Amino acid sequence: MLDLLAQTGLNAIYAASYISLIAVGLVLIFGVMGVINFAHGELYMAGAYSVVFLYTDWQLPFFIAVAAGLIFVGFLGLAMERALFRPLRDNPLGGLVASIGFLMILQALAVMGFGVRMENIPPVTQYVIEFSDRVRLPLARLYVIIAAVVLLSMLWVFLKKTRFGWALRAAAQDPEAAALQGISINQTARIAMFIGAGLAGIAGALTAPLVSVNPHMGHSVIVTAFIVIIVGGVGSLEGAIVASVAYAFVHTFVTTFFDGVIADITGLSLMLLVLIVKPTGLFGSADRA
Amino acid sequence: MLLEMKDISVNYGKVSAVRNISISVPDGKIVTIIGGNGAGKTTTLRAMSGMVPLAGGEIHFNGKRIDGLLSDKVVAHGIAHVPEGRRIFPDMTVEENLRTGAFLRRDKEAVENDLEGVFTRFPRLKERRRQMAKTMSGGEQQMLAIGRALMSAPKLLLMDEPSMGLAPVIVEEIAVIIEEINAQGLSVVLVEQNAELALELADHAYVLETGNMALEGPANELHDNEHVRAAYLGV
Repeated sequence: MLDLLAQTGLNAIYAASYISLIAVGLVLIFGVMGVINFAHGELYMAGAYSVVFLYTDWQLPFFIAVAAGLIFVGFLGLAMERALFRPLRDNPLGGLVASIGFLMILQALAVMGFGVRMENIPPVTQYVIEFSDRVRLPLARLYVIIAAVVLLSMLWVFLKKTRFGWALRAAAQDPEAAALQGISINQTARIAMFIGAGLAGIAGALTAPLVSVNPHMGHSVIVTAFIVIIVGGVGSLEGAIVASVAYAFVHTFVTTFFDGVIADITGLSLMLLVLIVKPTGLFGSADRA
Repeated sequence: MLLEMKDISVNYGKVSAVRNISISVPDGKIVTIIGGNGAGKTTTLRAMSGMVPLAGGEIHFNGKRIDGLLSDKVVAHGIAHVPEGRRIFPDMTVEENLRTGAFLRRDKEAVENDLEGVFTRFPRLKERRRQMAKTMSGGEQQMLAIGRALMSAPKLLLMDEPSMGLAPVIVEEIAVIIEEINAQGLSVVLVEQNAELALELADHAYVLETGNMALEGPANELHDNEHVRAAYLGV
């Protein structure tokens, strides 16, 4: 029993890692640009296909494919900022609709380029860390956990300690007042979009060998990411991380001890509960929503 | 003249907000714009700092034409704007708010000096430097907003309703601060509903009525003007 708990805990930590990478990017984009990026799941998908293309097809080293995925999806984010969100800056609803359109384009491109089949990605490493007979952590999952901890720590330092990090936080709290301090709103939007998209891209790239990669894989992660940022409090990065961990633990444990459908129901019920008890989310404040 | 606004007009959609407004700010002086609600005072000030586009007219600052620039570029020329409602960054600390005011500056030592200067001028801000800005009182937030603007080392300070929502004793404090800042050589454009206070502080005054310039003149003369007394000073 203890083994099972430990193993499920490890699984939950892995799930929390990639969920938080996705959710934090989504929150960052919403915070700085005020737009809900529905295409975020497809950015994750694009990251996974970077690995299909470079690692499976071109047989480049896995980590080069992952780095390329981060950069490629980051630039996709920049393109979205320039082409969709900047012209629609004063129209957040328009930005949301445009991102839904972009989601469909990305899905269609993936279908055209790779087909609707599930991709078969050769394992990156077969190595498994064995804590005991029944408590095991595949190295490929550890990569995801390390990436999440390192990248999210770097993001935290960037936001709290650097000049542009401050600019991002200021622009998120009050774009007009930030501009009065000399902060360019176009520039903060570009930075937020590159980081947010890049985080989704690397999450997709790193998990590609571990999940089923197909053109519609973004759908389930975006639903999870929305639950997480609503529970955490829309606009709160800390909230997104805490809620990712909480959601991953609840979902993984319920899946293990009951089944996946009950786990989904539990996750959504918890979101409703949080909305009833504290409508701004765990870490949200009313004036920011 | 430090700032010259010539014949500017601003529209919000199809609605004209202000028409053919000309304002001159001499170096080292306090100029005030007074008028009732919706007269266009805030719009005029927002036009000066590039927060709203002009439908017509020109703005020259320090010999350079600045109309058409966005507000993040205007501040680089030396215009700092303390916006209506203070608009501090609520989830940043007091010190982070102040340092954000120096965002464009590269002269690190001078920034540290100016930060100490702001802390000397506003000891309350120093006491609360690590506190989240949203936890402070209205008066403290107004001081933070002024301090943040000073951190850009401006030549001209635009202030929109600094007395709004504050207790009379705090308003007195803010008035003293404006005088001190001006005495140190900074020019000020002050937009106020509190005409009594504004005319007391200012050297020169403009009166806006429904988007048009109604009157202008030395502040002490307007203070004695019958129309101004009846309409804005309540006597």
